[in-house]
Amino acid sequence: MNISLNFVKRFVDLPADLAPAQIAYDLTMRTVEVEEVTSTADKFHDIVVGEIKEVKAHPNADALRICMVDCGVGELKQIVCGGSNLTVGHKVCVSKPGAVVYWHGEGEPVVIKESKLRGEASYGMICGATEVFLADVYPPKDEHEIVDFTELGVDCQVGQCVAEVAGLDDIILEVDNKSLTNRPDLWGHYGVARELAAIYKLPLKPLASAIPTGLPEYSVEIKAEAQCPRYTGTLIENVSVKESPMWMKTLITNGGMRPINALVDITNFVMMAVGQPMHAFDSTHVEGSRIIVRSAAAGEKLMLLDEQYLDLAEGDLVICDAEKPMGLAGIKGGKNDSILDDTTSVLLEVATFTAPGIRKTSRRFAEKTDASMRYEKGLDTQRVDQGLAMALELFKEIYPECRITAFKDVNPMKTERAKIDVTQEFLNIRLGKVLTQEHIEDTLRRLGFDTEFDGTTYHCIAPTWRSTGDISMKDDVLGDLARLIGYEYFEAKPLPVSFEHSVKQPAQEMARALREYLAFRCGFYEIFTYPWIDEKFIKAARFSTEDCVKLATPPAPELSCLRTSLIPGMLEAIDKNVHNYAEFNLFEAAQVFQKGEYHPSSEDETLPVHKNMLTGVRVGSDAKKLFFEVKGVIENMPSYCHFEALSFKQVEKPCWADEKVWLNVMSGKQVIGAIGLISFAALTDAGIKRTQAAAFEIDTKMLKAFPSRTNEFKHLPQFPLVEKDLSMLVNESVTWSQISEAIKFMVKELKFVEEYHGEQVPAGKKSIMLSVKIGNDNATMTSKEIDKKMAAIIKNLQNKCGAELRE
Amino acid sequence: MLEKLEKIREAGLAKIAEAADLNALEAVRKDLTGKKSELQEVLKSLGTIEPEQRKTVGQMANVIKNLFAEKIEEREGQLVASTSAVEGEIDLTLPGITVPGGALHPITQMCYDLNDAFRSLGFEIYSEDDISSEKYAFDNLNFPADHPARQSMDTYWIDGTEDKEGCDRLCLRPHLTGGSVRHLLEVGAPARFVYPGRVYRNETTDARHERAFFQYEALIVDKDISFSSGRVMIETILEKVFGRKVNVRMREGFFPFTEPGYEIDMECLLCGGKGCRACNQAGWIEVMPGGVIHPNVLRSAGLDPDVWTGFYTNIGLDRLVMMRYGVDDVRYFHSADLRFLEQFK
Repeated sequence: MNISLNFVKRFVDLPADLAPAQIAYDLTMRTVEVEEVTSTADKFHDIVVGEIKEVKAHPNADALRICMVDCGVGELKQIVCGGSNLTVGHKVCVSKPGAVVYWHGEGEPVVIKESKLRGEASYGMICGATEVFLADVYPPKDEHEIVDFTELGVDCQVGQCVAEVAGLDDIILEVDNKSLTNRPDLWGHYGVARELAAIYKLPLKPLASAIPTGLPEYSVEIKAEAQCPRYTGTLIENVSVKESPMWMKTLITNGGMRPINALVDITNFVMMAVGQPMHAFDSTHVEGSRIIVRSAAAGEKLMLLDEQYLDLAEGDLVICDAEKPMGLAGIKGGKNDSILDDTTSVLLEVATFTAPGIRKTSRRFAEKTDASMRYEKGLDTQRVDQGLAMALELFKEIYPECRITAFKDVNPMKTERAKIDVTQEFLNIRLGKVLTQEHIEDTLRRLGFDTEFDGTTYHCIAPTWRSTGDISMKDDVLGDLARLIGYEYFEAKPLPVSFEHSVKQPAQEMARALREYLAFRCGFYEIFTYPWIDEKFIKAARFSTEDCVKLATPPAPELSCLRTSLIPGMLEAIDKNVHNYAEFNLFEAAQVFQKGEYHPSSEDETLPVHKNMLTGVRVGSDAKKLFFEVKGVIENMPSYCHFEALSFKQVEKPCWADEKVWLNVMSGKQVIGAIGLISFAALTDAGIKRTQAAAFEIDTKMLKAFPSRTNEFKHLPQFPLVEKDLSMLVNESVTWSQISEAIKFMVKELKFVEEYHGEQVPAGKKSIMLSVKIGNDNATMTSKEIDKKMAAIIKNLQNKCGAELRE
Repeated sequence: MLEKLEKIREAGLAKIAEAADLNALEAVRKDLTGKKSELQEVLKSLGTIEPEQRKTVGQMANVIKNLFAEKIEEREGQLVASTSAVEGEIDLTLPGITVPGGALHPITQMCYDLNDAFRSLGFEIYSEDDISSEKYAFDNLNFPADHPARQSMDTYWIDGTEDKEGCDRLCLRPHLTGGSVRHLLEVGAPARFVYPGRVYRNETTDARHERAFFQYEALIVDKDISFSSGRVMIETILEKVFGRKVNVRMREGFFPFTEPGYEIDMECLLCGGKGCRACNQAGWIEVMPGGVIHPNVLRSAGLDPDVWTGFYTNIGLDRLVMMRYGVDDVRYFHSADLRFLEQFK
């Protein structure tokens, strides 16, 4: 919304030395954010009043004239002009060098320079209204007409800036409509004036609110009282369609609307002033001279201005005459309720429509109008008085000959003023400051509250314009007091401290430890991917899209599935990075979703099942190495991140994994995840070529975090350990876990060194190199003891694993 | 004979000086003082020398022997001191060998920085689930029934629930605030906690707008506290993030779940408050909304608003991280692009 300071000044006298920037700042801090401050005069720089002293023909062009013009620069200037109405002695609009204009009101802005036109020097430009932003104020009759102030009867001086002449020297404060949703009173300049009067402690000029009395009754009937608590109809005769006075057109323009004709302009002006929408019907169109406000019937239609029909639904509030719907209440009119060129009498509707119905209907027809936006916020019925009174004053001013011949006010419900009790103690504590009774009462009075203090409690009665939802409880009163003091004047107060217990959250700490372990120790980069996943990657990873929780309105049709696993997102991330990096590690910790039942807070709420997954990939070229590196990452995870140990076992192959190379991750007997190579098929379908990847996924809700450190100190060996390497030949089918089981009880430490298949070993065999540490707790081992121990180890390997020692 | 000894001495000292490394010096030692050395030969032949010369020659040979031992030790000291582990030339300007890469996402880093600050003030960390219901995301938070945020133009509703209402209408949470009621229902009051997380809005994306983005919300509920205490939370956040005190201003703002509500602006760090393009010439950047918990929200959480009060502060992590590093496109955060992520080790 645009707030015109000139408009505001009709209601409050602002000090002359109060800078617009200061007003914008104070409104921002106290009331509503002003996003931009613009001066309407800015764009009129170097555009001034000039007087034509001489007009002669152009030697080289029939359509052009050469004028000598007094532009108030000390000497007459020659200007070439194609205007159709150049008259000697008349004052016109001249753009001097440096001015910015629009040729014929179109295209890109042009900066005026001294130049030659068809061989004749031209100092500047004599302008038409469309070329210098004046079309709304001085609508041109034809394309070649220049602005002739003398003809228009505008009082002005040679050299005077045109902005001043046209009353366009205004300051416009721009406010985002969204930030005004809770303040219906601010949707008119009077409401803004009231705020400024309260902020600067200035008197606010009262509004007239007298409505007609003693007139014949117009026929008005409200059949939907809940949606229309008040309707006034005023019949005004002996009017005509003509232009509004200049001051009104200017203020309407500055406030962001376009002047149309005086009959329509009056309604718009009053709406901009007090925030009360109103509508003028051509009264001859009202069949039966009768207004009925009712809910539309199903199947009923409304004819629009362009003769299209709008299909109404039950519940849409319509304004009808004796025959048919004429308009959608508070939103838009139909063909039959418009002012036409020959309108001579109007029926003025000033009414209150309640917010929910307006919102519903306006949304269904995707129709947001200046009126509907205001009704949507909730207007008080009393505002009708001010709107009607101001409108009738304007009618009398602009149409002194008009007659008000009938009137009706149907007001089944009045907006009740909200009554709120607030104690001084509540204010003191919550504000953190003690305000005087005088301060509180004065501030509230300026905002329209009536208050009475009984020594402990303020009995506040809110004004009607804040009683449609905005003000309903003591916190609202507190808010008004706080904002008018200014939040910037409240000092930061320390938070109260209690030492009841320390913050202890093992699960939260483990979640962080997991991420830090992967990032800092294992060289993984953390990524975030969207929860909606491209079906291509879901299918590549062999997940079903049937099991997914889906979005009703996804960002794109292929993105409707919410993830059930982080693996598809990983595939997408691998695909993105594989062009830039040959080797890399990624991980993501995020939630995945599955159809199911889950009640995080209350039984009445059933959500899909959420799992907290931790998933990573290691990407490179050596598949086997990648797999064991990922295995190492998971093997070491419990001790670094402080949770109960994990083990590995093949239970159920994950759908994304290689046929052979996968293991489930177990916590006790429970499968909580998996590691494995990503299958060739998955990589291929994801478009990833010549690259291998090993992945892990773990459901971290299943990890059992230790409340503290649990490992115990072990004494260091008192006598030296002996380290021996062994190289064994075993059958291919013998596993490391069999070897380890066979001898681990005999040694202090057992380490796998390497495995070898190939030419050096016979077919069906493999060579395993391992390293053991042996020792005696009571003495240093003698070489005899060492040999004896090693022989026993080798014998065990021979017996249990069929191993033979390699030379 | 004395002349010969003189020659041995001269030649020997020269050899010691010339020995280029410890191995060469060891060879020189054998050569000069070993059993087959010239000096040893001389000593062995003393018997054949005339008696009057024998004593002089013997004494001189021993002096030379000691001299050699002394000089060899001295040279050995020099060589040890000047020995390098690397033979030959070495280019010390070659780059070092990199430690393996890996990093937390810059959003996570920011989040943990804030967690550290808030935990030091006794706040707990709470995590709400990504999918919520209209009841928790809107109803509990005093959003009017026809608030525009409830529409599918704004919120991602779950397929099949979009036309239902309350508990049965599910969505990807559009903000974190719903989590406040969930946690208050669990822990009651007093309470102070933070609940960082990702939220989702049905929006058109561009360099400044995302469909999935991160917020960080802090809440405190207690008795008889003034909302000016809420400001401490704000200052804590900004001081932690930017490493110094940042000027902030609170001004009037409106949110359904607060009363009163305020907007918090921080001084633009790029221009120091003078006004620049980044702050739209305002000198201030809107960073977080906040406010006193609306009584209806407290009621949703089962708390009596006449007894309890508290404040919210909500901060957009994406924007904060963008300011911290000068990132100019919010979409990088979900890009999974290592060229971006590598910069935040």
